[in-house]
Amino acid sequence: MHNKPGIYIIGGFITLFFLGLLSLLIGVYQFESESFIGMVKNGIIGEDTGDNSDWYVFSQIRLPRVVMAMLMGSALAVSGAAMQGMFKNPLATPSLIGVTSGASLFAAIAIVLGNYMLQLLPDFLHELLISLMAFIGAILTMTFVYRMSTTQRKTNVVVMLLAGVAISAMAGAITGFLIYLTDEEELRNLTFWTLGSLGGATWVKNLILALVIGFSYLFLINKGKALNAMMLGEQDAAHLGIPVEKVKKQIVVLTALMVGTCVAFAGAIGFVGLIIPYILRLIFGSNYYMILPLSAVAGSILLLSADTFSRTIVAPSEMPIGVITAFLGAPVFVAILIRYKKSL
Amino acid sequence: MQKRNFKILDQVDVQVGQGEILAIIGPNGAGKSSLLSMLANEQSAEGEILFKGKKFERWNGRELAHYKAKFSQEFNADIGLSVSEIVLMGRYPYFDSKPKAKDFEVVENTMKLTDIFSLKNRTYNSLSGGEKQRVHLARVLSQLQNDFSEKLIFLDEPLNNLDVKHQRRILELIREFVQQGNSAVLVLHDLSLAAEFADKMLLLKKGKVVAQGETRKIFRPEFISAAFDFPCHIFKNPYNSHPLVVFGERVSE
Repeated sequence: MHNKPGIYIIGGFITLFFLGLLSLLIGVYQFESESFIGMVKNGIIGEDTGDNSDWYVFSQIRLPRVVMAMLMGSALAVSGAAMQGMFKNPLATPSLIGVTSGASLFAAIAIVLGNYMLQLLPDFLHELLISLMAFIGAILTMTFVYRMSTTQRKTNVVVMLLAGVAISAMAGAITGFLIYLTDEEELRNLTFWTLGSLGGATWVKNLILALVIGFSYLFLINKGKALNAMMLGEQDAAHLGIPVEKVKKQIVVLTALMVGTCVAFAGAIGFVGLIIPYILRLIFGSNYYMILPLSAVAGSILLLSADTFSRTIVAPSEMPIGVITAFLGAPVFVAILIRYKKSL
Repeated sequence: MQKRNFKILDQVDVQVGQGEILAIIGPNGAGKSSLLSMLANEQSAEGEILFKGKKFERWNGRELAHYKAKFSQEFNADIGLSVSEIVLMGRYPYFDSKPKAKDFEVVENTMKLTDIFSLKNRTYNSLSGGEKQRVHLARVLSQLQNDFSEKLIFLDEPLNNLDVKHQRRILELIREFVQQGNSAVLVLHDLSLAAEFADKMLLLKKGKVVAQGETRKIFRPEFISAAFDFPCHIFKNPYNSHPLVVFGERVSE
């Protein structure tokens, strides 16, 4: 009668572990050391192996990137699931309702305005400021779209999606303008802001991401009961003792925080929050008690696979990761439209 | 006997006591659902609503859910869960993340009482209107299954979409619940059923009280006709001697 997420989560972590190992081993750069394990061992204990580039690629490029893919995939999938619960709609995802664009815009503004000031800051604060601005952009757009499109019982999907289109267009225009206006290198890359890339992964960014995600999950992962009850309607959820307004506020703030940070560090990677909850719904029904924790693991698996694929398929070049997530996500979008045609 | 006082704008002053069913009746647009909604603390009302001598705002939400439940007239038609998962929501106030054995027991029991046990693994979306109605009734009933006393249940037209057998079934369940020292406030359309099951009645018309009090004093042709703007007659049902209302003018053959 009541499925338990535990066993699936353990299975997910095991898959993730092996996928991570695989992803560390493959890439344009071929490790020269004879044994991978030996190289890692030597690197950790600080012994000079004679070939430091192996260790450098492993510890400063590939590992941070794998970790970032896991963290972001998880954050984006959980954000999508939580937002869908709040909007009571399977199409509510950060990218479709314009939250990603809003975050991109504010991140771009931070980079342009902070051109000089940011240079003087230490790395950690510099990244933190940009992600903070992206967070503000995300929270503003989300609040705006939610206010516009949602009433007590139901979300007006047309308004929700069109508000997303409008915001994306506007934010995209301004971001584009800023990109061509500035010669700031950090911003010059339009592909980064529209399709995303995990190429800029560093340990500092991962640290910030991990903190943000850890904090958010503390409150979000156990919202399964609340989101289930809210499917009945918000008043009925309140009769079940769910503090609906508080739950909604937490979701808005925490998903904005996660999406904002992801956008600031890796640009706009779309569709993760759409694909994962959709697949989980097919298997477990709309039970958020299952969907929320499982999204956290499944999102990591998806984005790590997508990133590994994106940097190997056209090696030595690299395909923007958003191309792959969109390639998977667009059919899911269509599938949702067909499936929920009547109830949307 | 402890009384619970409700007051809305000084125009409506209702009390429901332990062991009592209060039926709110009246024509469309009389404000029945609004009144129920205010009593259940969904809409804010001017004036005071006391439950167990304490304002709703001063209750802890989750604790209050052990004592008070409401069945709403409109429910979401599309919920991608199974029947038992929805009924289990009624137990949400009782567990944090893992349901206890007692919760499953209550869920199973109420599903049997409301005659939906055979549907427990079906998806909610595949059910008929009357079946969905019973799922939500089971959910609301299982919410108040506990050892506390003086509980209060609100039901807004609980008999919609139900067939005759299940209409009576539900009303009997409510009566049983009330007899354990609890109270119920219902909005009902079927006047004869209301007269049979309710201890008290509140007759509403355009937001004003036409009459209220014990059922036998209220359920009279003059009050009912006035409220519904339609001539009516009340007979004694020859089979069970409950009052039976018939609307329309007498026509000579």
